[in-house]
Amino acid sequence: MIMAEPAARQNPETPAPVDEEALVRRARRGDLEAYDELVQRYQERIYATIYHMTSNHEDANDMAQESFIKAFQALKTFKGGSSFYTWLYRIAVNKTINFLKQRKNRTHMSLNDLDFNAEHDPDLMALISDKTPRRDAALAELQEKLNAALLKLSEPHRLVVVLHDVQGLSHDEIAKIMECNIGTVRSRLFYARQQLQGYLSDYLGPT
Amino acid sequence: MNESENNFEPLRRLLALKRHEIPPPGYFNNFPGRVMSRIRAGETDAPQGITGPSWLLKFFQVFEAKPAFVGTFASSLCLLLLFGIVYAERPDAAAKTTLLASLTQPVLTLADATAPVLSPSSEQTGLMVSTNPVLSLQPVASLFGQQNPLAQPVSFSLPGN
Repeated sequence: MIMAEPAARQNPETPAPVDEEALVRRARRGDLEAYDELVQRYQERIYATIYHMTSNHEDANDMAQESFIKAFQALKTFKGGSSFYTWLYRIAVNKTINFLKQRKNRTHMSLNDLDFNAEHDPDLMALISDKTPRRDAALAELQEKLNAALLKLSEPHRLVVVLHDVQGLSHDEIAKIMECNIGTVRSRLFYARQQLQGYLSDYLGPT
Repeated sequence: MNESENNFEPLRRLLALKRHEIPPPGYFNNFPGRVMSRIRAGETDAPQGITGPSWLLKFFQVFEAKPAFVGTFASSLCLLLLFGIVYAERPDAAAKTTLLASLTQPVLTLADATAPVLSPSSEQTGLMVSTNPVLSLQPVASLFGQQNPLAQPVSFSLPGN
């Protein structure tokens, strides 16, 4: 049982969809207050997705802001064929992937701090050697190894892992965001997990 | 699929660590404000300081994406510049070549046009025969400063002077 899954198992459609439609309509007419409300609703998820893809807080900050700005500028082209959050995610994801292609050979990690709950997560503690005197240091090392392993994956594979295993989105939602079929999502997820298991075998032990 | 999910369970537990990574405190309190102020300022995702048509912005984005492209583009510009300089120095030579060619190349004059047989005197006076259909009443000016007997100085006077 995972203790803290705040964003993970959250259904992105939890906010009242009617309200969202109204907000989007108002924002399309240039109502900045309505758009501000939309930003507040999705900022954490958008930021987190980009952050987990880049492993860099500053890059995530810039990309998240630019994604919301681009979404606002492109609101007039939003036809409503998909939900606003799917459309917004798509913008953020495309922007992030383009950014990652540009900085191909510059992978500088700037990791966020772990929250208090991490040190009390029994599942995570089980992964750290009991003999380790300083658990926070071991946890930080684990965090770094995990991020480094994720960065070794290709962008599409990393994205699937981030959206499914970290963000908690369903295969169907990921398929809509990535504009591919569910089979592709599943196969990418399987392959990415296999790769990660290889990279993190020291921590996972025999499966 | 469930079996494979079970195989990856330890990994999924490890990946849960990512959810504990949080930005600095208060970060999300200020985030919407920053976005809205940038929207109000009419900011685009174009690189700062570069404004212009979209094709130009895309062009600069290609530069950002592919540093090698910048080198190639700069080299091409240098070559173009070099070629331009070399070519710019050539017009004199080119003009000389043209004039020399026109001197050596027989030119059909009006006098000769009526006289189909080449007379030796025509060569002496600088009049030349050519298959070139261009008719010229004046012989071509000499490059070597020789006084051309057929060329007369022309002076123009403006009315009122």
